[in-house]
Amino acid sequence: MTTATFDMPVGAQKPSSTAGIAVALLLPIALVNAIGFILPVFNLARMSFNEALPGGGIAEAFTAANWTGLLQDSFYIELILNSIMVSLGITLATLLVSYPIALYLHRASGAWRTFLTVLVISPLLTSAVVRTYGWIALLAEQGPVANVIASMGFQPPRMMFNTTGVVIGLTEILMPYMILSLMAGFGRLDPKVEEAARTLGATPFRTFWRVILPLTLPGIALGCLLCFVLSISSFITPKLMGGGRVFLLATEIYDQAIVTLNWPLAATLSMLVLIIFGAALAVYSRVLRMIEG
Amino acid sequence: MFARLSIAVSALTIAAVSSASAETVTLTAYSGIFQEHYTKAVIEPFMKKYPDITVQFYSMPNSAQMLGTLRAQKSSPQIDVAILDVSVAKAGTDEGLFDKVDESVSANVKDLYPNAHAEGVAGVGVTFDNLVIIYNTDQVKTAPTSWNALWDKQYEGKVIIQAAPDIQGTTFTIISNKLAGGGDYKTDVSAGIAKIGELAPGVQTWDPKPDVYAPIANGQAALGIGWNARAQIYSGTSGGKLGVALPEEGSGFQINTINLVKNAPAGEAAKKFIDYALSPEAQAAFTSEMFYAPTNSKTVIAQDALKRTAADDMDKMIDIDWLAVAKVRDGITEQWRRRIIPLSR
Repeated sequence: MTTATFDMPVGAQKPSSTAGIAVALLLPIALVNAIGFILPVFNLARMSFNEALPGGGIAEAFTAANWTGLLQDSFYIELILNSIMVSLGITLATLLVSYPIALYLHRASGAWRTFLTVLVISPLLTSAVVRTYGWIALLAEQGPVANVIASMGFQPPRMMFNTTGVVIGLTEILMPYMILSLMAGFGRLDPKVEEAARTLGATPFRTFWRVILPLTLPGIALGCLLCFVLSISSFITPKLMGGGRVFLLATEIYDQAIVTLNWPLAATLSMLVLIIFGAALAVYSRVLRMIEG
Repeated sequence: MFARLSIAVSALTIAAVSSASAETVTLTAYSGIFQEHYTKAVIEPFMKKYPDITVQFYSMPNSAQMLGTLRAQKSSPQIDVAILDVSVAKAGTDEGLFDKVDESVSANVKDLYPNAHAEGVAGVGVTFDNLVIIYNTDQVKTAPTSWNALWDKQYEGKVIIQAAPDIQGTTFTIISNKLAGGGDYKTDVSAGIAKIGELAPGVQTWDPKPDVYAPIANGQAALGIGWNARAQIYSGTSGGKLGVALPEEGSGFQINTINLVKNAPAGEAAKKFIDYALSPEAQAAFTSEMFYAPTNSKTVIAQDALKRTAADDMDKMIDIDWLAVAKVRDGITEQWRRRIIPLSR
């Protein structure tokens, strides 16, 4: 294929140079991104410096009051820390339950592997709302899970409308993402290396700890980043399963924007989530460098 | 982010809708059963009376989203008339989104009850609603007569309350403050907050989904608080599973106002619609249809419909000054979060 056959859009320079083509091809998406993402983010940043009036009004201003108020308020500090801790907990739980499944899938082959992979991905075909309602039915006070626990002679704990419910629901909802990321990162795991370790006399546990785990670390890092980011920004499951007791960043942004009409504060919290995303990305790339290096 | 998106999307839809004809009035109000019944009781008769005017119902789930949309359209409004909560209407008035609704717009304005007029709000009251106890008739055999039923130990873990900042929670705070013998709610609601704190450990959820009515109708919860008009409708559609009781201590009103959007494209037609919506005829029709109490004092309503509103118990109602509440609402919300909800963890 030669570049001369391309019908270049107006404004593209030097159709013969590959750099020109790259720019021309990137321009539409860059434009869409600038209008659809970067501009709104700047608007949001600007909004976070406006002044909120009681009753939902907004006054054009340039004040840092939202930011300083947020960082001095013990409720919001607790909310931010709680969001991070809950998201980390969900990420860890997702990793623990997904890792064995991903490892088994990685080792399976043929039609069996295809079947299992479809099985893992299939929950993504139903919306998170439906799956959350499913969990509500399962974890209800007189629900199946409570009945099983009760039949074993224990007092069933409250599993819904609190943090426990949110963690259980989100862990299950995020599992497909974690399994897929883990599998993508398992490429370096060559069965021959495991066999070599076993032949040289390593116990199964030692093989896992010294060979399998280090080789799968990139997959773990990727899965954890993805799940952390998804869980800290998830809104539906905490809203439905939190029972108004679990205060997280995403639900608080909704409340401030839609119920209290405090858009400046909602914008400030949104920017804060963006900062947390940035921090998570920084940690991820650092971890990745450590693994590679 | 989500709110932004939905506002952008709704702005586009409205633009597509309203370019049809100059004699189209675009009304924004609540979606769901409000839309269904308001269309039947007010909009359809209006269009029959004025065949050259078409009313487009542009529905939104809550007042806040309506305000957001009106804000986004300030430079070129696509909505002519907005029915929204009085405290949100105040914020909209302060931002210059509305024109004053007075006797030059509708002669019916002079016949409205005094509490349909709020100082500093451009629109006027079009419906009154009030907080009630709602209960599951299988689990609660006799209709509660007092708010104190919510504190009854036998329903522990079966009570659902929509917490502040939702105005159900705010209204409940003011009622509880009165029950607990607290003073003026505009200055101090700590007695009410302490009383709800006693209830907190027995509350199943502070954020019932999809609303408070469904979990009670299906038996997930036994008791809760809700708005009378919606509860009356759901009482019928649930086949009597949902019971409604107006406690003897009285209750507080929620006021929906009707507002004329500044620079509304429909012009005179929009004023005609507001005039009709405030007329005794439209008010009576909507009360019989959905049990919102009328704001026009000249409205004549059949006894059986009247019994299902708070119109007969006006003297027991707490006169809530929503504009004063708007100023202390953040403080009330803060107390819920620090002094009520943590007690239920």
